[in-house]
Amino acid sequence: MLRASAACEAAGFPSSSLVATAFVEQAKATRVGLGYPNLPWATLVGHPAVQTPDQLRHNVTSVTVPEVIANLTGALAEGATANAEPSVRDIVFKGGFADLNQHFIEREWSDGLPINPPTRARIEAFLSHTQRDPEEVLGIMLPDSRAATIWSVAVNGVMAGCRPEYMPVLVALAEAMADPEHGVEHSGNTPGGETLIILNGPVVKALGFNYTQGVMRDGFQANTTVGRFWRLYLRNVAGFLPHKTDKATYGNTWRVAIAENDDAVRAIGWQPLSVDQGFADGDSTVTIARYTGGGMASSMSGSKPEGLLDYLADGLIKNTFWQIMFSVGTGYGKLRPLALITPIIAETIAASGWSKDDVKQYLFEKARIPAWEFERMLRDWTGKPVWSLTDEARKGSIPADVYAVSEDPGRLVPIVWEPSHFMVVVTGDPGRTSGYMFGHNGQFGFPVTKKIAVSAPSPVSSPSTDSARRSPA
Amino acid sequence: MDRQTDEGYFEAYWPRAARRMKTKPLAPRPESLDGKRVALLWDYLFRGDDIFDVIEEELRKRFAGISFMGWREVGNIHSSDERQMVAALPARLKAAGVDAVITAVAA
Repeated sequence: MLRASAACEAAGFPSSSLVATAFVEQAKATRVGLGYPNLPWATLVGHPAVQTPDQLRHNVTSVTVPEVIANLTGALAEGATANAEPSVRDIVFKGGFADLNQHFIEREWSDGLPINPPTRARIEAFLSHTQRDPEEVLGIMLPDSRAATIWSVAVNGVMAGCRPEYMPVLVALAEAMADPEHGVEHSGNTPGGETLIILNGPVVKALGFNYTQGVMRDGFQANTTVGRFWRLYLRNVAGFLPHKTDKATYGNTWRVAIAENDDAVRAIGWQPLSVDQGFADGDSTVTIARYTGGGMASSMSGSKPEGLLDYLADGLIKNTFWQIMFSVGTGYGKLRPLALITPIIAETIAASGWSKDDVKQYLFEKARIPAWEFERMLRDWTGKPVWSLTDEARKGSIPADVYAVSEDPGRLVPIVWEPSHFMVVVTGDPGRTSGYMFGHNGQFGFPVTKKIAVSAPSPVSSPSTDSARRSPA
Repeated sequence: MDRQTDEGYFEAYWPRAARRMKTKPLAPRPESLDGKRVALLWDYLFRGDDIFDVIEEELRKRFAGISFMGWREVGNIHSSDERQMVAALPARLKAAGVDAVITAVAA
């Protein structure tokens, strides 16, 4: 929202943003990153969503309006500028392990768990696994407007406990985070959805990612530390800090990275997620998307596709309630629900001759709700009092052949616009008959896939290690 | 094992990255909103329509000849096409004769 105000100021239009009380600290931090440290806001006392009409009118009249007028007329006070910061190659701490960790925590550079100290030797070990210039900029990321560089990827990879050979994966993740299609600037929004990282290709086995039993459980170095890297990079480079720019109502701990079971996919003649996302079979890739939550379909039963997929359709519906606004409303055609299925479920479905596209088509036909309920959820969650799918179709904002085949309010309509909007990934315990469905955060965390550029490591310059260094006398 | 041996010694680098934006001045403000045209920009959340009704009513009482480009005319600034919408705003505002904007709702 402040982004729109900043764009207007840049074009010469005075602005006043309206900011609810609980979001004032976020506004203060965000405006610095936008380059306008004195971008003004007017306060909305409390939260407008829970006020009576009289309370809202009183608050807006007595507090908001005078501040709007002050913001749009006359001179404004200078705001706080960004604090002086170290330079990129500055050593910011010298000393022992515990003190180092405390130093990083106090400056909000750590997630609270012990970090692996980002020393020169360790950073260079990571850099040796990429051919790219350490100063190369992968993108500029909001809210802080910091440059995502190869160097900063290495530093945060070290801190997360990654191994140096993970570096190509981390670079691909930073590229994905910086891709405008993903929408990293929304990563501190109210739902607090957390990104899921999905790997495909030879890199999965080469680096030891778990892709079988307990795939979403911590305890596997590659999965766990790569997941932690993502959150540290969001913190340190994008700039999402809880109680400031990260306004997740509840939030989640970062998710460990997962990987698809490419062998299982190949054995049944399906294509992996990476191919669904437009890459060649055999490419190593990372796919990211933000999910608002998820739920388990535990121990499904059935020998035919229809029986098994009904469980998934049911779970996909149940994990999509307010998120329906990303199909129609706040977003249009931007919902991408994800279903994980185990290899034995995929094999059972494929044994009936079904492709992955057949699975998505079936889910498209079955993951449906009555039109009146779709419209009711839009009304409840967007605050707009009247919603009509047929009117939206007449305006051309949604596909009429999907949402307006009749005027019957009881007609069943899909939760997504087309079958390809469902994402299906084969992973987890090969012998268990389960699935896991995720609710998706729409355009505020849209799926993005990047190829992992695996390269042979180059020699590391000295010092080769610092793990045994002693304090100077 | 003494503390020094247990703790080790490390020289650690800064984990953040350089900011790449420049601090910019705000747009010049008019002395008054008399006769000015104000655009109401909304993300279609949190009762911004009700809030704008009150603001519009109160500003009309205070400033002669003030007019508004309503949120319906502007469209949702926080939808699937947010980047394109925001990028196109300056030209649209200029074409509409707008002098200032009120943006809602951060909540």
